[in-house]
Amino acid sequence: MAKSWPQLEADELHQVRWLLGGALTLIAVSSVFYLNIDAWIAMGLATVSAIAFTLRPAWVARIPTWVHALAFPLIAAACAADLWITGEPLSALVRLNLLLLAYRSAVYRKRRDDLQGIVLGLFLVVVAGVLTVSIAFALQIVAFTAVALALLLVITLGDPAHATATAALTPGEVPRWARHVEWRKLLRRIRTTTDWRVVAAGGALFGGLVVVSGVLFLAIPRFQLENTFWLDRFAMKKAKTGFTETIRFGDVTEITTDNSVAVTVDVSDREKVPAHPYWRMLVLDEYRDGTFRLSALLRRDAFGGERVGVTVRGQRASSGDTWTFYLEPGISRHLPLLGPFAQVQFQEAQNHRWAPGLGVLALRDEPARMTAYRVEGMSTDAELPDRRLRTQLLERATRRGGQPSVWETLELSANDRALVRQALVDAAVSDEASPRERAARMGAWLQARHEYSLNPAVPGGAGDPIVRWLVSREAGHCELFAGSMVVMARVAGLPARVVTGFRGGSWNGFSNNFTLRNADAHAWCEIFDVESGRWVRFDPTPGSGAASEENLSGEESLSLRLDRSWSARLDSLRVFWYRRIVNFDQRTQIEALKTAKTWAEKTGASLREFFDELSATMRALLLAPWSAERIGRAGLFVVAVGACGWALRLGWRRWKDRLGRTSAKGEARVRAEAGRWLARVEPWCGSSRDAERIVSDLQRIRFGAKATWPDPTHTLREAKQLWRRRRKLTAPPRS
Amino acid sequence: MSDFIPAGEVTDAKQALVRLRAAMTQTIKGKDDVVEHVLICLVAGGHVLIEDLPGLGKTTLAYTLARALDGRFSRIQFTSDLLPSDVTGVAIYDEAVKQFVFKPGPVFANIVLADEINRATPKTQSALLEVMDRARVTVDGEPHEVGTPFMVFATQNPVDYEGTFPLPESQMDRFLMRLQMGYPLPGDELEILRSTRTSYDAIAQEPVVSRGDVLHLQALAGRVFVEESVLDYVLRIVTATRTESEFRAGVSVRGGLALRTAAQARALVKGRDFVLPEDVSELVAPVLTHRLSLSRPSSDALEERRQVASVLKHILSSVAAPV
Repeated sequence: MAKSWPQLEADELHQVRWLLGGALTLIAVSSVFYLNIDAWIAMGLATVSAIAFTLRPAWVARIPTWVHALAFPLIAAACAADLWITGEPLSALVRLNLLLLAYRSAVYRKRRDDLQGIVLGLFLVVVAGVLTVSIAFALQIVAFTAVALALLLVITLGDPAHATATAALTPGEVPRWARHVEWRKLLRRIRTTTDWRVVAAGGALFGGLVVVSGVLFLAIPRFQLENTFWLDRFAMKKAKTGFTETIRFGDVTEITTDNSVAVTVDVSDREKVPAHPYWRMLVLDEYRDGTFRLSALLRRDAFGGERVGVTVRGQRASSGDTWTFYLEPGISRHLPLLGPFAQVQFQEAQNHRWAPGLGVLALRDEPARMTAYRVEGMSTDAELPDRRLRTQLLERATRRGGQPSVWETLELSANDRALVRQALVDAAVSDEASPRERAARMGAWLQARHEYSLNPAVPGGAGDPIVRWLVSREAGHCELFAGSMVVMARVAGLPARVVTGFRGGSWNGFSNNFTLRNADAHAWCEIFDVESGRWVRFDPTPGSGAASEENLSGEESLSLRLDRSWSARLDSLRVFWYRRIVNFDQRTQIEALKTAKTWAEKTGASLREFFDELSATMRALLLAPWSAERIGRAGLFVVAVGACGWALRLGWRRWKDRLGRTSAKGEARVRAEAGRWLARVEPWCGSSRDAERIVSDLQRIRFGAKATWPDPTHTLREAKQLWRRRRKLTAPPRS
Repeated sequence: MSDFIPAGEVTDAKQALVRLRAAMTQTIKGKDDVVEHVLICLVAGGHVLIEDLPGLGKTTLAYTLARALDGRFSRIQFTSDLLPSDVTGVAIYDEAVKQFVFKPGPVFANIVLADEINRATPKTQSALLEVMDRARVTVDGEPHEVGTPFMVFATQNPVDYEGTFPLPESQMDRFLMRLQMGYPLPGDELEILRSTRTSYDAIAQEPVVSRGDVLHLQALAGRVFVEESVLDYVLRIVTATRTESEFRAGVSVRGGLALRTAAQARALVKGRDFVLPEDVSELVAPVLTHRLSLSRPSSDALEERRQVASVLKHILSSVAAPV
């Protein structure tokens, strides 16, 4: 009698192997999706091939023989050509890998092919993981490992004799296992034949492995492999819109509302959060030909030389609060900040330039991957001191003459200038009022004249576009408002500049952080107040904040921004991931480990305390003097507990019996269980009369009519006892 | 198969079968497995085809069985000039009663030994086979029941094929099993030599069970429980013979039914009221070999039989038994 384990037949095992191999290929191919490697053709080929042939294995035999004959030379040639043309070994390797996977899914895989498939897939998943450091990688590697382990298990379960039998396939012949494949039936068979305890044990083991890897991941020091090499550029860049470094007004384009996340900010002290945070990124001074830009002069003067380092020191004193920024790739090379700071710390050394007068910190290149930086002691004021400009202006006032600063120059025709002057008169901006008051009037005038719109219309005609818009009554967006105000201020003789960045943002109620979206991109202006020597922020755009909210700060303003939507829930996952992988020093890591340790210790301590208390109570109970009444009561208690236990046991048995007797599934389970024990105990069948009886009972439960069954629970227990006893004594007798 | 057999009846059946077996092994020395298979056939209500050389105890086997179950025994020697009416009987005109009276042929018995069945013409063969199927004879439109229980032992000589009409496959299918006697072991043969008996008529076997008992056993066997997975096992074995390229054709549905019935009978013979997978696997060879033929036939009957058996064995090892 051929008894084998598991009960899946060789053909079915083969089908399972085929299915798992296909799944593995798909997981591996999907990881390439996250890479910035041009491999769409190979990817599509591999995906289509994996899906089609996995579901319909009989189709493989329909592939003409010449395809198989030519496949490897063609793939090799394609790889060589790829390497020669592009000269990028990594992308060529990825494409080669994809082609190999595509071909592997279109042949009847032997054991060797499956093993190679695992290695190829692992290569793809790991490459994608190292390059992107995305949360998808964590999921992918877990899924990949699980499927790979299952595949390896099935491979080892497969009959080696059978494997060699399929090796001798004639071309165009469909192997027996692939002839009649019904996946649904196979799944049913797997469900009935699988020993779920083994699956549970395996799953638990795998879960343990994942947990251990997680702990190791927490504990090992971070290093930035990808920046060390040339791999950086392969990470997928995501194109974002809504933020520009130069503002051009001649051809105003629609600002697309891209709602994707641009920056996430962790705040150490919520009270410090201003009611209307303006995240400054870039300051534009020069206005020429209808375009605001950073002038070459300022670029040279204001920024210090380029430095390489992990920290940037500011002028402010540290106040203890920290802000952690996670800047998404492809946003900008200028880092969003609220104001001057004590220190900025990067995750790794960066090439950066710092302009203290502008309050702008710029990296050399636009980062292609998420960039994290921590700011300490950041000012949240709406005003930015600039002592150098103050002295310069005061000096000029005393000397009466001299060059106007970059903040005052304005290239406008006389006609346009006259139009702006007229507007200033309309706005009742008198030369005597303080700069702050004048600026406020200009803002009010602009807001009264123009409405806000994301689809602005600049009236045509000759002259400067801003002036054309300014004197019209068309609606406009923030850049037009800010640009107009700067033009007005400069005509009125006030130093002014356009600032771009983000305004506001939402407070993610799940991960407790600020989220700035691309749609929050904004432009406003700053006007210099000579008396106080500060740049004062003015936001002429309508709807930039009601006066009543002005005083709110901290928790109250956060509650207004609270976002608990589904997208916030998704974003919170990203933040959790970032917090996990970003590490400025070993401190957070150690903190995480410490938290885990203290939690474990606390739990242990409270448990110990509970048991100590329990034992103390018990001892006190026992040591108390025993009167007849107490003895009686204790006896009653013991009897009651015993009765309860007995009743529970009876109920449990009856319930179990009913389960086993009524449902067909329960019956099948009992039969399967009996079969399992039968296989174990049967070798000892002849050893004693007892063993013989147990075996015959087990046989009856396994194969007999249900109505004639002995008590399954009892029989199974006996079988277990017999097995344990015999196993200890002897090896099973060989027949 | 919802109704089950009460434990007492199983015990009774087992005892009856033990008596029968003891009676037969006393006469047929050293052929315990053949005896067991014959008993299984009897309980399953099937017929046996014995292929072996002459003089190995085929007649003795059939006769002893007939005696032990208190049945009538008859023996028909098949020859090429044997007519169907020589087997079934004939209606002849009786002057005394002035009408046709049916004279029963040798087939009217409980155990019928059809010796060298392949020597008769196909017409005569088919007459016997019809009786085997229906357990009755129809002459002149009138049915006549043959004995109950009714069991045919047909024999064939596998070596001497000269002037024979080999049974077509469709008719081979009607035999539940094909058995070989084989030579007895030297010790057993010595004992046979020692005995003074020369012909089977001299066997003095007292009946150990009644014919009614045998009918009851046959009814019981039909009620032996077959669990779903065992049925599935039978099905998978039968299906495997159909997809096997070595065979010209697979086992018929009747063959599958025969395997199940035989397994039920074996379970009862072993004293069980349910079928184990081993009941099936043990009976695959005797029940299925004569129903299969190779797609590349061998010239030698014995060689072909061996090859079919080895392919079947391979199939059996590849089809996993339910655990």
